Amino acid sequence: MTKFGIAQPVRRVEDPRLLKGNGAYTDDITLPGTAHGVVLRSPHAAAKLLSIETAAAKAVPGVLAVYTGADLKADGIGDLPCAVTLKNRDGSDQFSPPRPTLAVDAVHHVGTPVAFIVAETTQAARDAAEAVMVEYDILPSITDLATAMDPGAPQVWAGAPRNVCFDWEVGQKDKVEELFAKAAHVTRLTVVNNRIVVSSIEARAAQAEYDSATGRWTLRTNTQGGWGIKEMMGNNIFNVPPDRFRVITPDVGGGFGMKLFLYAEQVLACYAARKLGRPVKWTSERSEAFLSDSAGRDNITLGEIALDKDGKLLALRTRNVANMGGYLSNFAPYIPTMAGTGVLASVYGFQAVYANVIGVFTNTVPVDAYRGAGRPESNYLVERLIDAAAREIGMDRVELRRRNMVTPDAMPYTSPMGKKYDSGDFRIVLDAALKKVDWAGFEARRAAAAKRGRRRGIGLAYYLEATGGAPTERAEIRFAEDGFVDVYVGTQSTGQGHETAYVQLTVDQLGVPGEKVRVKQGDTDSIPVGGGTGGARSLYSEGQAILVTAGTVIEKGRKAASETLEAAPADIVFEAGRFSIAGTDRGVDIIALAAAQRARAAKGEDVTTLDAAEIANIDAHTFPNGCHIAEVEIDPETGTLELVRYSVTDDVGKAVNPMIVRGQVHGGVAQGFGQAVLERTAYDPESGQLLSGSFMDYTMPRADDLPSIDVDFIEVPCRSNPLGVKGAGEAGAVGSPPAVVNAIVDALSPLGITHVDMPATPERLWQAVATARAA
Amino acid sequence: MTDIRYLAPRTLDEAVGAFAASQGAARILAGGTDLLVQMRNGAVRPGTIIDIKKITELTSIEEAADGGFRIGAAVSGAALAEHPRFGRVWPGVLEAVNLIGSTQVQGRASPGGNLCNASPAGDSVPALVAAGAVVTVQGPKGRRQVAVEAVPAGPGRTNLGPGEIVVSFTLPPRPEGSGDAYLRMTPRTEMDIAVVGVGVSLTLRDGVVAAARVGLGAVAPTVLLVADAARALIGSRLDEAAVHAAAAACRAACNPIDDKRGTIAYRTRVAGVLLQRAVAIAAERAGRV
Ligand SMILES: Cc1cc2nc3c(=O)[nH]c(=O)nc-3n(C[C@H](O)[C@H](O)[C@H](O)COP(=O)(O)OP(=O)(O)OC[C@H]3O[C@@H](n4cnc5c(N)ncnc54)[C@H](O)[C@@H]3O)c2cc1C
Repeated sequence: MTKFGIAQPVRRVEDPRLLKGNGAYTDDITLPGTAHGVVLRSPHAAAKLLSIETAAAKAVPGVLAVYTGADLKADGIGDLPCAVTLKNRDGSDQFSPPRPTLAVDAVHHVGTPVAFIVAETTQAARDAAEAVMVEYDILPSITDLATAMDPGAPQVWAGAPRNVCFDWEVGQKDKVEELFAKAAHVTRLTVVNNRIVVSSIEARAAQAEYDSATGRWTLRTNTQGGWGIKEMMGNNIFNVPPDRFRVITPDVGGGFGMKLFLYAEQVLACYAARKLGRPVKWTSERSEAFLSDSAGRDNITLGEIALDKDGKLLALRTRNVANMGGYLSNFAPYIPTMAGTGVLASVYGFQAVYANVIGVFTNTVPVDAYRGAGRPESNYLVERLIDAAAREIGMDRVELRRRNMVTPDAMPYTSPMGKKYDSGDFRIVLDAALKKVDWAGFEARRAAAAKRGRRRGIGLAYYLEATGGAPTERAEIRFAEDGFVDVYVGTQSTGQGHETAYVQLTVDQLGVPGEKVRVKQGDTDSIPVGGGTGGARSLYSEGQAILVTAGTVIEKGRKAASETLEAAPADIVFEAGRFSIAGTDRGVDIIALAAAQRARAAKGEDVTTLDAAEIANIDAHTFPNGCHIAEVEIDPETGTLELVRYSVTDDVGKAVNPMIVRGQVHGGVAQGFGQAVLERTAYDPESGQLLSGSFMDYTMPRADDLPSIDVDFIEVPCRSNPLGVKGAGEAGAVGSPPAVVNAIVDALSPLGITHVDMPATPERLWQAVATARAA
Repeated sequence: MTDIRYLAPRTLDEAVGAFAASQGAARILAGGTDLLVQMRNGAVRPGTIIDIKKITELTSIEEAADGGFRIGAAVSGAALAEHPRFGRVWPGVLEAVNLIGSTQVQGRASPGGNLCNASPAGDSVPALVAAGAVVTVQGPKGRRQVAVEAVPAGPGRTNLGPGEIVVSFTLPPRPEGSGDAYLRMTPRTEMDIAVVGVGVSLTLRDGVVAAARVGLGAVAPTVLLVADAARALIGSRLDEAAVHAAAAACRAACNPIDDKRGTIAYRTRVAGVLLQRAVAIAAERAGRV
């Protein structure tokens, strides 16, 4: 097994670069002559925009331009698009409001971009921003999802009565009704999936330059894939062929879905660069990120499950109210609907499932995909419901799950939501997980904690995630002049370790030394198409593309070797990076062969070179799944919670690099724990101001909040791709919120507490205990 | 940005002189962990900064012959922690000072800055109030001494006169059988603003409380000395009734705000809980068996 082999915990090849500060992020790059942009944002949640006076701002020394929505309209700049239009239950289309890059006549959340100021320095632009006089007619605002549909609630958009963007449904409604009618027991639970501020370490940034000779832009920006940005820039914004944009994505410090989308500031940098004939750069401040990065989650969901008398799960019915924010972000309506509902049946043999999803506008930052994008929300609901049902019918929560799990002999299994699970052995994973944490011995730990005045609880969640994303992916393998093998990919790392995993796959296929492989990403000029990274798709999508492309390289190599070695192609064998004539010691190394062929081709000889590019069809999703088990201790007097133990048993199919998967799971668990216990996005109900607008007020998880997390794998190879892998990037964040909340409820259930909403802050836990004791 | 003048006088007289002469346009700089943050976000824009860390009296720790301590106002949390004796005599004060910020912040942050920043949630203040610390202040009109609890006037405001600088804290000699403790409640374990902070100092004689002081933070516009809580403890053997009465006094003293960090009900309730726990720790340190 080589150092870079598959299944090896290869150290991340990108880390020396990133950890030593040698990475190059968007903001690290400043082109000569760069001008700096600052966005002036609405301080109001809902207001008419009456007038904007820019003369004083333009007079500030160093200011180059002040642009408003009117300027952009006059220049024919299109609105920021939403790529999704859902059908309502009544067959009509969803309401899609306009989202101008800069507000034209109204603002719909605090932070809506109102003007773009460009100056010689950021400081001058900031000073000028203070000099822009905007006259607003302040309107009543609504930021609370729970009351946004109430009669009399302020209207975010005149065209959306009761603030409803869409009212969508999916599933077997009639059959579900039938099964509920004959159920022995029905469990109902309403859960809140709290709004998350994504908070990537690297803030968003954009730097654009425009070449008037060619009419082309080069946009450097931190994305999860520049190709979508390029398409939208051309097709939706500037009304030019998308190829007029070259989007370069430098190193990216975290995305979590939030950096998939086209944002106003990217458009503004491009617009200003063309207007001014200079590179224009914008970098978000942390406080701006709170007001302008798409947010995550934010649902209130009623779930109901019907069970028969033996504890068999019959049917699931949900009504989910999902916050869209003040405008529709690129994929916003897709997240709680198509993305989220797909996994509602999870690993259980429900006979029928029905989901109604209502998208609702509020005067808040637009919501879109965040690590898991809809699937964490669905898994949270289902795993909370099952715990609640077990308690209600007096059945052990593990037994209720085990009894209803789809068995391996049913694979491939088509769920009531139409998802085809290729593989999975849920009971094996469950049993391994329980054994690992000594589930059976928990009561002794609960009793020991009680002696210390602490309430200890254990919670389990079995999650199923459906990965997603673009249906094709491209790879190109080029043998470079300097002896390296360059692999051009259409995905985009934001820190996950792609550079390492792709090297491992390439080494596995081509037998070249890992040190000789370079992964190239993030330039839409050198890589014509790419699906970007999102939906945990990268390894299995790009992996398949690398496989197919490597196959072509080997075929071409065989032909080339037959030319060089003067043997029939059929007699050439390829092994460990070497083409040789079968049964002889005559052969040639693949890198040497590629170099020789390239040299001959350069002299005009008609020979086969080894470079190749292929596009792979990604026919199927993957369904990573696993069991998370959390143990918490709560101080009932203060509500303080400690996560004392956390254990994950995952089926991510084949783990190409177990160390990287563990890292991904650790990060996901931390994020899920943050959502479950710490992260509260608070708006002031009167003014619509974001109260939790900085890290002083918005509680991100930190290392000292978490115990050491153990992650083990039970590999059930994926059958829908030749690598056998399942996407692991999001899974940690899918399993952890329900595991943690189930543990909290378990700790407090002796007091009669049956549910606690996220985030389970000390105050909320203390309140739950106080209320239960008073009752 | 306008230019800022930076002065680092070596004597207190120079510092007071410059501070008074600035007529309110200057700011004292101790560790800067509040001041520099406030300057960066534009909350304060001083014309002159007067760094007091070059003045020996403000950066030294002295143990008097009678066992009392004098701590310079600009002594950092880290320096206080390294003092061989201070933490043994005043473990509660030390843990309160050391709760401020992270390791990095500890290298700079001072109790004087914590007090003069006048946040109702300043961590060292309730412990210093409980300790009965007296503050030495020097200004254009000379030196004066005031109780710690008399310095804060409201959030971000002090009762210091124009040109006055806090020089040091004097902690009284510690009788046999004394102990102190500070506990705070934050929404998270570290690096956060307290929603309640409680400092307790006790002296026990034959199991009976001979002296007690209680300081309460983050539940009113200023840190409070809760005399009623101390009264409930004094003369008791720290039996349940006495401790409950003290907790009730703490709750009664609370006049907190309702905000995203904590509701009034929660802060009030937790104030009582922390009082009970801080009393238990202080009593143990005082040698209760
Ligand atoms: C990351 C971080 C975490 C923090 N965590 C905590 C925490 O957990 N608990 C807590 O209580 N605080 C915390 N703080 C706030 C701060 O660190 C403390 O208030 C600290 O004690 C301030 O001391 P300093 O010496 O840095 O004060 P400075 O910033 O130098 O001064 C603070 C104020 O007091 C004035 N001042 C300072 N010294 C004197 C003096 N001798 N006479 C008159 N005026 C004076 C200054 O002019 C200024 O207005 C934190 C700050 C940061 C940045």
